[in-house]
Amino acid sequence: MKREAGLRMVHRDLIEVCGLNSHYSGRQVLFDIHFGIPDTNITVIMGVSGCGKTTLLRHMIGLKRTRPGQIMVDGQDLGKFNEEEMRSYRRRLGVLFQSGALFNSMTVSQNIAVPLKVHTRLSDETIQIMALIKLNLLGLAEFGAFMPSQLSGGMRKRAGLARALAMDPEILFVDEPSSGLDPITAAGLDRLILELRDTLGMTIIVVTHELESAFRIADRLIVMDRGRILAAGSPDEIRASQNERVLQFLERKADTAEVNTAGYLSRIKGNEITRSGR
Amino acid sequence: MTRMVQSLGAAILDQLAHLGRMGLFLVYMIRGIVKPPGKLWSVIKQIHFIGTKSFFVIGFTAAFTGMVLGLQGYYTLAKFGSEGLLGSGVALSLIRELGPVLTALMVTGRAGSAICAEIGIMRIDEQIDALECMAIDPYSYLITPKLLAGLVCLPLLTAYCDVVGILGGYLVGVDLLGVSPGAYLSGVENSVVWKDVYMGMVKSLGFAVLMIWICTYKGFYAGVDEGNFGPEQVGRATTNAVVLSSVSILAADYVVTSILL
Repeated sequence: MKREAGLRMVHRDLIEVCGLNSHYSGRQVLFDIHFGIPDTNITVIMGVSGCGKTTLLRHMIGLKRTRPGQIMVDGQDLGKFNEEEMRSYRRRLGVLFQSGALFNSMTVSQNIAVPLKVHTRLSDETIQIMALIKLNLLGLAEFGAFMPSQLSGGMRKRAGLARALAMDPEILFVDEPSSGLDPITAAGLDRLILELRDTLGMTIIVVTHELESAFRIADRLIVMDRGRILAAGSPDEIRASQNERVLQFLERKADTAEVNTAGYLSRIKGNEITRSGR
Repeated sequence: MTRMVQSLGAAILDQLAHLGRMGLFLVYMIRGIVKPPGKLWSVIKQIHFIGTKSFFVIGFTAAFTGMVLGLQGYYTLAKFGSEGLLGSGVALSLIRELGPVLTALMVTGRAGSAICAEIGIMRIDEQIDALECMAIDPYSYLITPKLLAGLVCLPLLTAYCDVVGILGGYLVGVDLLGVSPGAYLSGVENSVVWKDVYMGMVKSLGFAVLMIWICTYKGFYAGVDEGNFGPEQVGRATTNAVVLSSVSILAADYVVTSILL
């Protein structure tokens, strides 16, 4: 344990989020987020829908503009990246979006070939084979010639992951991998994520609200609620957490109705005042 | 009072930001011409979509426009006993004005709306984000091929529209109304000079940029301002794109004419 702590001291986190605030058209959605993502680890960001997980992810992949000093990658400031630096950072990334984000006008294997065609000078034949290897990895080998619209939601997501892995990225971001998947496919995907870490040493960041999957794969868990981090730590540390909201989330309890009417009214009015004040 | 000034100021700032973003979009779109990835194949695909597939509809529009010009022109010219000028009238109005404008409007309606919807769907489905995450410039990869295809297709379609329109005028003027074929054709030949053709071509190139710019821009930013990425936003973006493109084409037509005349 001590040795691990020592190692962590020497080993700087690959991505450090330090005091990230984020707004959507005037409404603040992330409040002073601090955490680090160590390399060759699986970090799972968990929380109820709408708690800001996806926004956080979009900041880390540079799709939402970040102010200088709020996210560091390899000790360099993501907020200050110029176009070229951002491009070379993104070439290290693979991203699986919630919807899979496959290009509708191309077949599945053409989709996977896109990054290879743009970034490499490989022959078409080699690219074909590489696409097939990735598809096979995700159990989709026979669906290469299908259009995305002919696939089920789960298959589309797996094809999206195959495309994210096409360039063998160093860092993999996965948004809701198992939502909409049957338990068997979801478990297969979890196993694949673990394999990617173990065999290729990938740093993987998974955003999810599926508890079972999160605890199965995570080296480190981050629990978010209403734009703030509630708890962060190893799965065991999170399980031992005494935080009321964390417990509620882990035990899958619905929000209780507010009993205190006066408190309820003032909270709603308070919200109203802040909204009109903007 | 303060609130009024405040909201007015906010609206003006909003519009300025919007215009700035549109300008930048144009710059990125043009810059994409020299940026990787290579786009020969995608340009050819877009030429097929914007150009080849518009062939029939443009021919149809041009034939009927030429025919109605023949009819109206004959009626007006007959009042002065100068039916012989029908050829010049039809050819000049088509080559200088109607050819480029009608072609651009028809292509906007047929291809511009589809382009906007296609890019809008890519936006709401995170496909454009996915491109960016693959370190692929979405402008160069998606938008520029459409611009290049537009620049190839519109002048050619305009020329085709002019020719079909003149033949339509011939059909009505000569075959139905009895103008002498020699008078019609020599009217065309004598009155049309290089400057007229040049003006039509300049217009069609300008309209191509305008149409592609507006339609792709509206699709690219579908739902971004609302912060809501749904099918409704794509529908609205497409409507806006077609309306704005058509109006801008007509306005630009006036400006270009007044400069080149």
